Order: sequence, then structure tokens, then C-alpha cells
Amino acid sequence: MARRRRNKTKKGVELNLAAMLDMAFQLLTFFILTFKPAPVEGHLALNMPPPVPQTKIERTENVVEGGGPSIQQTEALHLFVTANDQGDVEQVKLENSVIASGQLTEPMKLVINRRLKSLFDLQRTPFDRIQIEVDRRLRYEELMKLIEVCAKQKLPDGSFMTKISFVEMER
Amino acid sequence: MSANSGEGCEPNLTPMLDMVFQLVTFFMLVINFKGASLDQSLQLPVMGSARPLEWKGAHEPLILNVDLEGRVKVNGVPFPAEKYVSSEARELKDKLRAAGEKTDGELPVPVILRADKGVRFHLMNHVIKVCQDQGYRQFSLSAMTGKEEK
Repeated sequence: MARRRRNKTKKGVELNLAAMLDMAFQLLTFFILTFKPAPVEGHLALNMPPPVPQTKIERTENVVEGGGPSIQQTEALHLFVTANDQGDVEQVKLENSVIASGQLTEPMKLVINRRLKSLFDLQRTPFDRIQIEVDRRLRYEELMKLIEVCAKQKLPDGSFMTKISFVEMER
Repeated sequence: MSANSGEGCEPNLTPMLDMVFQLVTFFMLVINFKGASLDQSLQLPVMGSARPLEWKGAHEPLILNVDLEGRVKVNGVPFPAEKYVSSEARELKDKLRAAGEKTDGELPVPVILRADKGVRFHLMNHVIKVCQDQGYRQFSLSAMTGKEEK
């Protein structure tokens, strides 16, 4: 009896690793098969209040400390974008003047950016938001190019433009 | 010699098990459950200035996958935008009410718009309007950050 007990303690406990390895391989196979690296996605944060009809252009007065002549008016800057049947940009108007015609290429984006920048640099009539009136046929990809240009504009306080709203152009 | 062949060959499985467990741990850590809510069939527009969204709010943003027909896709199933957005907004309002948070008509949660680059403006605008009607004001437009798009 004593001899048998001594034999047992000498041998020790041997775990069967094969079963655990099988299970680990199954888990590994599952993870490898379901693995899909997340795509590189970015975001453009916008504050989109409901659009204001053009006939009721909202003017808000910001009274700067000290009062008097330093009262400033803020309003929405209007862009009008027409599109062709393919959904590409045909013409971009800033208020009443045409600032770009034809496809929205990189040089054209630069032109629009320059025009907007010149307006936003004017401190007398600061715009606090941009309202884009868009042709219903315009593709989202084209619109995003325009939004990107608008979002680059700096407000008098140094922050970037985030208030952008859209209106469907009446045909 | 004959005794050796009788015992058989027993490989040491411990290092292999270690390695497999390390691989399993790696895949468990990098698995992205949020990716399931992102419809990968959509072709997002490319925008160089797009940045990762930094949202630290208590409530999860509303993710809308908008397909070419202007429908909202949830786990690959298209839904009318009104139906899905209103049900999500109702759920969020209930949560905010239960938490005692005041909304003043505006929901303090952004909408992540993942729209196909080919979707026409009127369809996209409809989805935005539906969200605005429900009280969403903060929007986040998704785009690919580089040219590595499919």
C-alpha cells in the first residue's frame, strides 16, 4: 500500500494539453476568420440648425462691451449650387455673383476658398453661419467638397465655421 | 532501443499553447464590435481634412448608414429614415428623462452620417431634415481620410 502511494507522488499530475490546444486553435481560427481591420474614417463635425428661409434672413446683434458703434450684426452667408444630370457641380454662386463654373476641381476649390476668405476676413459684417442652397441632383461627394471649403473659414473669434445648413433649391 | 520505441514520442505542447494564447489575446483585443454598426458596403466620399470623432458624452451617437436610395441601413437591412430616427430619438428622450437631464428640444447627441458618395442631395437632405425635426442639431459627416478608399 505504502509502495503504491509513493509511486503516485513521484509521477505528479500531468495535464492533457492537447485538448486545451485544440480549443485554443478553434478560438484562434474564429478570430482570424472574423478579423476585419476598421477602415480609416474621419468626420467633419457640423452644427446644423434648421435652415432659415431666405425671405426671413435672421440678423442677430452682438453687443460688444462698451456699446455705441461697436454693435455688430451677424448673418448667414448664402451659397447657391446648381448641378447637372450627372450630379456634378455646374455653378457656384456667392449671394448674387457667380464664383465658379464647371466641375469642382482643386483649383476651383481654391478660388472659392479665396472668395470666402476675403469675406470672412472683413470684421465689419461677420457671418456666423453659411447656408447652402443646393440643387437636388447634386451628389453627396460634390457637396462634401464644398462643405470642406466652408468648414475651413475662420470666424472672428478664431474658431472654424461649424454652422452650416442646407436648403433644397427650388426648380 | 525497443523500450524507447514503446514509450512513443511526446512533444512539449506548452510553448505552442503559449503562442496560441498570445495570438488569441491579440485578436480579442483588436476585435471591433462597433464596426458591426458601420455598413462597409457604402462608398464614403474622400475628405482630407476629416478627423476622428472625439465624443465623450454619456450617450452613444446615432449612426446612420444612408444608401444610394436614401434609406437608412441597420445591420444591412434598409429602413425608412423617419421610422428609424424617430424610434431612436424616442428612446434617447426616455433615457434623458429618466436621468433627469433637460433637453430644451435639442438632443445632446451627434448624428454620424455615413452616406454613400453617390447619393443625391434631396435624399440626403431628407434624412437630415428628419433628424432636425426630432431635435438633433450636431452632425458629423463621415468620410475617408485618404485615397486608400476602395
